Amino acid sequence: MDIGDSAAEAAFRTEARTWLATHATPRRGAAATGDLEAHVARAMVWQRVLHDHGWAGLSWPEQFGGRGMSSGLSSIFNEEMAGFEETTGPLTVAVGMVGPTLMAHGTPGQQEHLAAILRGDELWCQLFSEPGAGSDLATLSTRAVRDGDTWIVSGQKVWTSLAQFADYGILLARTDTDVPKHAGLTYFIVDMNDPGIEIRPLVQMTGHAHFNETFLDEVRIPHENVVGVVGDGWSIARTTLNSERSSIAGGGAGWSVEALIAAARTMGVAADPLVRQELAAAHSRALTLTAMGYRVRSAVSRGRLPGAEALAMKLGYANHWVATMDTAMRILGADGLLYALEAGEETSRDSAGAPSLGSSWQHALLNQFAIRLGGGTDEVQRNIIGELGLGLPREPSADRGVPWKDLPR
Amino acid sequence: MNFDLSEEQQVVRDLATQVFGDLATPERVKEVEAADGFDHDLWTALAEAGLLGLCLPESNGGSGMGLVELCLIAEQQGRNVAPVPLVSTVVSAMTLADHFASEPALGSLISGVVDGSVVLAAALAEPGVNDPLSPSVQATRSGDTVRITGEKPAVPALPVADAVVVPVRFDDRPALAVIATDLDGLTIERLETTNHEPQGHLRLEVEVPVDLVTAAPAALDDLYHRMLVANCAIQLGVGEGAIAYVAEHVSTREQFGRTLSNFQAVSQRAADGYILNEALRATVLNAAWQLANRSTESARSDVLAAAYWASDGTQEVVLTAQHLHGGIGADVDYPVHRHFLWGMQMAGTLGTASSHLARLGAHVAATTA
Repeated sequence: MDIGDSAAEAAFRTEARTWLATHATPRRGAAATGDLEAHVARAMVWQRVLHDHGWAGLSWPEQFGGRGMSSGLSSIFNEEMAGFEETTGPLTVAVGMVGPTLMAHGTPGQQEHLAAILRGDELWCQLFSEPGAGSDLATLSTRAVRDGDTWIVSGQKVWTSLAQFADYGILLARTDTDVPKHAGLTYFIVDMNDPGIEIRPLVQMTGHAHFNETFLDEVRIPHENVVGVVGDGWSIARTTLNSERSSIAGGGAGWSVEALIAAARTMGVAADPLVRQELAAAHSRALTLTAMGYRVRSAVSRGRLPGAEALAMKLGYANHWVATMDTAMRILGADGLLYALEAGEETSRDSAGAPSLGSSWQHALLNQFAIRLGGGTDEVQRNIIGELGLGLPREPSADRGVPWKDLPR
Repeated sequence: MNFDLSEEQQVVRDLATQVFGDLATPERVKEVEAADGFDHDLWTALAEAGLLGLCLPESNGGSGMGLVELCLIAEQQGRNVAPVPLVSTVVSAMTLADHFASEPALGSLISGVVDGSVVLAAALAEPGVNDPLSPSVQATRSGDTVRITGEKPAVPALPVADAVVVPVRFDDRPALAVIATDLDGLTIERLETTNHEPQGHLRLEVEVPVDLVTAAPAALDDLYHRMLVANCAIQLGVGEGAIAYVAEHVSTREQFGRTLSNFQAVSQRAADGYILNEALRATVLNAAWQLANRSTESARSDVLAAAYWASDGTQEVVLTAQHLHGGIGADVDYPVHRHFLWGMQMAGTLGTASSHLARLGAHVAATTA
């Protein structure tokens, strides 16, 4: 056991720090998204910069254009990156989820997307959830019917992050209704410019339309866009969902406890014992998540699946987010209630016309539900932890072995 | 960065798992509880297995390992709620070895710990506002001796200890004194405690040779923070054992025609216990590693965060375990209640969740730019 950086890790950290100092902008407070389209565009430019300087796909194998480094080294880069304004957040689906899935299951033709993803040329979205299939994703009903070399797909997806800007989507659709729900699914790549796709933004209480409803009306997908084999979509989707969970738990939050402590100083409440108590609790939660991250990272880099530990970490991260935003609002008072939506504007103005510290924190407060629900809700995580971590008997399920077409709906 | 245990550390953990698992059975623990609260047979077995000297210097007959390894042992003690003064003895001996100039001044205390013949107590708790880093016991030098006067409450292991390490105020600075428990002027009042571990109230009107007092500035800081972390490891084990009982109970106990685990209100609460425990595991190992490999100053926030999680988190875990067992949990013939008693006892030992958090808050506010 050795928590410190090895000599190679320390050298890499220094290299990353030096490069970031000249190419990125240090962040103050919590990250503000501003205008969503501009935010997405900036992320793609930043991905391109990373790519051109050799910082993209650090842990991807070299054959796919990556650097073939250990996940430990790429985590070090992410740690160093966390304090800067620039983010590849909107590319999480592409880089963090589609990438690993195509590397594991894609055909050589499909894997040609990998280079474009690393260059920041392609934005991807995930077409999984449906109005009738949320936590019980495998019950989804978007249908894909084969017509020669083409699949004709109709149905409705929802909570599609950034679909309005996406070039491609990964799509889970039902190709067989006569088998139990998990068995009849197929995983597709879909071109989001195809005719028959209609996207309706869902405006959230953050003021953004990060999510969308996506309607598919007889969209024609070539058979070569099937990832893996027909009917095996669920196991491929699990690769994607596992990547999603770890990218949520390991992702840059866009805020930090240090920034919150700085905010408490600015607001003149850092000496208040109750505030200080909460700051200490937040600091200790962050520290615990860091240590849990070490464990998970250590397991992954030695070829073990972290299992229940990684699930526990995602849940811990969600709890940390919620509790810390409560603290942030208590520290910021009325300033914490101000929206910041204008492009390029980090902060709203407070009542005295001064830049408000609060608005970016408010965004993080309102965005907590994405963390708690995305990649499996808190409750779904706990159910799996009960089985994996505690060895509790599997819950009885009424639909096991029942063909999808016979399920009540 | 490598958070995995080394092969050596895995051997230590497996050995400790075996010794505690074999000997500290619920039946045996109950028996010892009714006697003096110290399992002498287990203590001998720990010494014979080399686990008491594992973290002490090779020059004293030990194996030269450190705090991380001690935590692996302490975790197994907690898991089996085994009544032995492991942590107070070993952490005290580690600190004496580091901060006292020579072994002769101490006689054979440290090698006695290695062979199981010596038990040490550490009198860290303070009367009133419990700040172990500001000792109230006074030490005054007079020639070659030091006169020590004062009182220390709730000293773990004191009634069974051969010597006690006492933080004192010496030349107006914190220092540590080592005092044999049979010395004239030292009196011990045995206390009854929540988890039935032997504790004592210490009264001192003694004179000791000057070389049994160390004024090394870091000595008390080291003793306190190491003790905190080792206690956290016991708490981790206590919670782990409690959760294991929960998993077994809710998977087998049936009501309304199905096992309790099939009620999500039950299984989700059990999962929360597991999460707290895994969070604590990472935090404690991190704190132990930081304290063993970096300065106490730079490890301070890691240690305090672990202490906070251990107090607050383990209390929640043992409450959960107790609750999910229903009435049977309160029956002294069923073993899970000991985890509850230990969880409660440990949560108030060497500070509380609030005091750790207050200290951490002051530290964080002072050091975060």
